Amino acid sequence: MYFQKKRCIAMLLAGGQGSRLKVLTEKTAKPAVPFGGKYRIIDFPLSNCVNSGIDTVGILTQYQPLELNEYIGNGQPWGLNKTHSCAQVLPPYERHDKKSGWYKGTANAIYQNIDFIDRYNPDYVVILSGDHIYKMDYAAMVAYHEANKASCTIAVRTVPLKEASRFGILNTNPDNSIYEFEEKPKNPKSTNASMGIYVFNWEVLRNALIADEDDETSSNDFGKNIIPTLLAQGHKMLAYNFDGYWKDVGTIDSLWEANMDLLGQKPAFDIRSDERTKISARNNALPSSYVDGNAKTVNCFIAEGSEIFGTVTHSIISIGCTVGAGAVVEDSVVMPGVTIEPGAIVRHAIIGENSRIGANAVVGGAFGPKDKKKISVTSKGAVVESNTVLLPGDML
Amino acid sequence: MNVMGIIFANDATLGALTDKRTMASLPYGGRYRLVDFHLSNMAAAGVRHVGIITRQNYQSLMNHIGSGEEWGLELEQGGLEFLTPYAMSATDSYHGKLEAIHEAMDFLEYGGDDEYVITSDSAIISNIDLQDVLASHIASGKDVTVVTKAGIANGQKQLDLALKLDDKGQIQDVAVDYIAPAGYLASMDIFVMSKAYLRNTVREFISRNLFHMDRDLILGQWQKNAITLNVYQFSGTALYNESLTEYFHNSFALIDPDVRHDLFGGYHPVFTKVRDRVPSYYGECCSIENSIVADGCVLEGEVENSVLFRQVTICKNAKVKSCVIMNDTVVGEGAQLEYVILDKDVVVHPGAKLCGTPHHPLVIKRGEIV
Repeated sequence: MYFQKKRCIAMLLAGGQGSRLKVLTEKTAKPAVPFGGKYRIIDFPLSNCVNSGIDTVGILTQYQPLELNEYIGNGQPWGLNKTHSCAQVLPPYERHDKKSGWYKGTANAIYQNIDFIDRYNPDYVVILSGDHIYKMDYAAMVAYHEANKASCTIAVRTVPLKEASRFGILNTNPDNSIYEFEEKPKNPKSTNASMGIYVFNWEVLRNALIADEDDETSSNDFGKNIIPTLLAQGHKMLAYNFDGYWKDVGTIDSLWEANMDLLGQKPAFDIRSDERTKISARNNALPSSYVDGNAKTVNCFIAEGSEIFGTVTHSIISIGCTVGAGAVVEDSVVMPGVTIEPGAIVRHAIIGENSRIGANAVVGGAFGPKDKKKISVTSKGAVVESNTVLLPGDML
Repeated sequence: MNVMGIIFANDATLGALTDKRTMASLPYGGRYRLVDFHLSNMAAAGVRHVGIITRQNYQSLMNHIGSGEEWGLELEQGGLEFLTPYAMSATDSYHGKLEAIHEAMDFLEYGGDDEYVITSDSAIISNIDLQDVLASHIASGKDVTVVTKAGIANGQKQLDLALKLDDKGQIQDVAVDYIAPAGYLASMDIFVMSKAYLRNTVREFISRNLFHMDRDLILGQWQKNAITLNVYQFSGTALYNESLTEYFHNSFALIDPDVRHDLFGGYHPVFTKVRDRVPSYYGECCSIENSIVADGCVLEGEVENSVLFRQVTICKNAKVKSCVIMNDTVVGEGAQLEYVILDKDVVVHPGAKLCGTPHHPLVIKRGEIV
């Protein structure tokens, strides 16, 4: 079989469980978690690839892959199903030399798929993570990497100093070259946080992965092992500044916040404008939405196939949902296929896919801007029985 | 079952709305075109070979349907075929459906094992189980099955083909282009017959200058006792879009949950071309009532009893009542619209006032600036 040489391909790490999303990822890998009414988290890095001219994407899956694999399919929604493009799902597999099995870490996952990457003989490999919400032009980052003849370029964003100790921090020289990498430092020297987006020269990364695999003490992780090792070896490593919207949606609170960031006249994260950086999603054959005469819809997203009879304020209503008469949905994320029966009240909640909130049930509650967030969450297919209560911060 | 499909894209009859469109490509229901219903009906019934007969203004139709991927009709064998004038033996327009089929005879030959043919026009939409229609046809042993709908004939509407049954279900009367009184069954312009029957009929009829399916085949042969007809009565929703007023009313029919659920949640999903827009955004001060809203809209004003297609913008203080607003149209601040159909890419300037009547909606052509 003939494989066209590629200047650049992307490898998308989508195997993590996302255990901090709790009930939402019990049966679903984090990248397949619904977002923004009709999307799933993985749509963002995948669409970014396509919008950046990267047409070959390897997607590394491991945890609960069924739904994710099904969703990615042949890559058609993102235009990755053409003769010389692909969205290839890469699950762990067995090999003759025993250097296989479950992916032990992010670096090991790429190591186990060296053959896949070699087929395209790429100059550069972009390593992405499947759990961030952002729009980014990877082509500009690769161009920066190439122009500066770096071995590795890491995207960074400025975080507040007091939060810097939660991130991998890159200390840089004035020319943006990295002289030190500190994973979650107690006393951070800078505020350049790694976004987990890397561009590597494939040759450099390939050698590093093989050496890392031979090191039995390594935990086979990009942040903990590959980056520090390359730095110690004296490779030219650059930081690439990114100041656009970016959110790690690894927790219930951050997932809720990122959804809310889509709302408003001038949203914190605007996915409504700019056709060139459009986020694509796999579409369902759903009709237009219906908004009833007694409905109230204020500052909200309502996706296709939904029927609204009640009041929806500052919320995301995803595809195929019903909000019954007299029901109230406020400050909430309602995932696809949810039924909220008449008279139910949902506040500050994330309602999982295909859940049913029974008539007159109460889910979650209000909190002020300074209170600690207490988001109530229901898992996929959960049922909150009629006339019952799910307290603020509780999960079902 | 071995069955192939023929869809007549049909020339347009809705004035300005269909100037540059076939009936098949007329937008409907926020995100569809009429042909979507027919393609979805056929695909759901396992029809794997569909020909679309079209003669003019078919650019928008081809653009919409593409390879037929969305309907699962992008197939190695069979699939979707456009039977345009240049793909047929004659480049002239045809007089009737039999002539059109005659010109597309190669398509009928091509289907190989397909034993039956379902033909459908574009203007009447439904969510119908065509497998059931086919089963009824085969069980009946008749020459042709006519799919009909009760309750359409009302003594005012002219029907392409009307049939009256007696108490025993025997055909009492057949009429074409007839303002039928209540009690008649209206043809839904869907027919089923064997391929051999259609081929032979077309050959025989064209040689005798007989071109029309309804008039020459169904009525003519029935009067001569030379055809056996199976009358299939469809019980679901069938919307006849044969005039601008009908189309306008049918657009709002979707506000009725029974119609909506019957048409979209009935026997199978209705597929259409994917445009992949963001969910619609409902602003801080908007008021949306009794309306159908597609994706990608930005709504800041007031909308009542209306159908909004994809990517429509309703600016602040605009008032939209009983309107059909197609893709990418912008209604400016403070504009007031009642009984208006705005075609695609229209811009209504701030403060403009446009008004039609329930029976004569004002139509603003594609791309116009008002």
